[in-house]
Amino acid sequence: MDHPSKFDQLNSELESRLDDLFREDGPVPAAPPPPKRAPTQPLEELKKTVLSIDWEITPEALAGLQEQIGLLKVTFQRDKVISMFLQILGALGQYIKTSRSYVHPSTFTVLNSVFARLDEIVSSPTMPEERKRKLLQVEMAGYQELRDKIMKRRKPIRVAPVEPPAPAPPAAASAAGVTPEVLAQAVEELKRFIRAELTRFKDELRGASRRG
Amino acid sequence: MAFINLKSKVIQVKIVYYGPGRGGKTTSLEYIYRKFQQRIRAEMVTIKTHGDRTLFFDFLPFDIGLINGYNIKIQLYTVPGQVKYNATRRLVLRGVDGIVFVADAMAVRREKNIQSLRNLHENLASYKKNLAALPLVIQYNKIDLVEQGIPILDVELLELDLNRDLKAPYFAASALKGINVVASLKKIISMSVASVKNEFL
Repeated sequence: MDHPSKFDQLNSELESRLDDLFREDGPVPAAPPPPKRAPTQPLEELKKTVLSIDWEITPEALAGLQEQIGLLKVTFQRDKVISMFLQILGALGQYIKTSRSYVHPSTFTVLNSVFARLDEIVSSPTMPEERKRKLLQVEMAGYQELRDKIMKRRKPIRVAPVEPPAPAPPAAASAAGVTPEVLAQAVEELKRFIRAELTRFKDELRGASRRG
Repeated sequence: MAFINLKSKVIQVKIVYYGPGRGGKTTSLEYIYRKFQQRIRAEMVTIKTHGDRTLFFDFLPFDIGLINGYNIKIQLYTVPGQVKYNATRRLVLRGVDGIVFVADAMAVRREKNIQSLRNLHENLASYKKNLAALPLVIQYNKIDLVEQGIPILDVELLELDLNRDLKAPYFAASALKGINVVASLKKIISMSVASVKNEFL
């Protein structure tokens, strides 16, 4: 152990160094702006946003997610499978936005999984269409499973009423969160979309084989 | 435990910013990095990987320089606030020398602060460490939100909730505006270095 006076000396030296280092008066040296570079991969920005949300749910990250999805929807508008993946990501983002800290913990697993499959598809341009659709079906199933979990969690616990039930709030008041009905509706929409796409795809294949 | 090299006279001190999710831990580190980057000549590293072995944290290392013959190196870490990342939080706490507990002063986050502090106690206990025996500074963050009419907890109430027994030094702060971020940092560095010196030298 050092002599106490030596210890005091260390403390006073340390205090003085900290004051120098973290002096808040005077002009603050401006931090250099982060280098702007074009993304080398189409999903690079989306990946960062998805990871940011997984790390911490912030309004900026959620806004960034919707923005990225919007841009990618334009880029991949001709690819129906990718468009579907983007729709799922958008729906998950919307659910996280409205539920925030009450979001179901499995949401992040589904979000990351959907993104990972989308990334796999986008980075493999030669992937057969059938494989893409299979991956989409798997992610759709995961999404639907999440929806079921959320609905189960939101089921009211039945207890003996002690007071007469309060009158139902006006419809606008329940718009604060994503209700199970909204989620169910979104899933139904996605299902209809997939069915229509599969039918269209089958027709195309039939037409091609006839022409061949 | 601090890394100390007596031969080369290097003391490495690990300080962890802990607290509930969205409470301002990363923002505190970002403020320090943004404002003093050129003076402390540091690079902030944010590790955000995803996989079976998830490991997420922010890391800001810098040197204080030679103090009384010892080269003092500081490492600032944040932990993810989300409940599901407890394994990561526990891992980041390994070998911690000092803690800044960033509490969220928003009224709606009262319970989250208490839960997070309880979680900190539990995680330290897994390393057979006691929070009361560790250098600790509490940063009551987001006090500036009162200007926007957002309900904020009184410091007295926060003290009662979180610091009644610990009696740690505390600061009412705003990581976004930089209020008392530096004061908290300076305090925890002083306390941690003194504790390391006391314990090991």
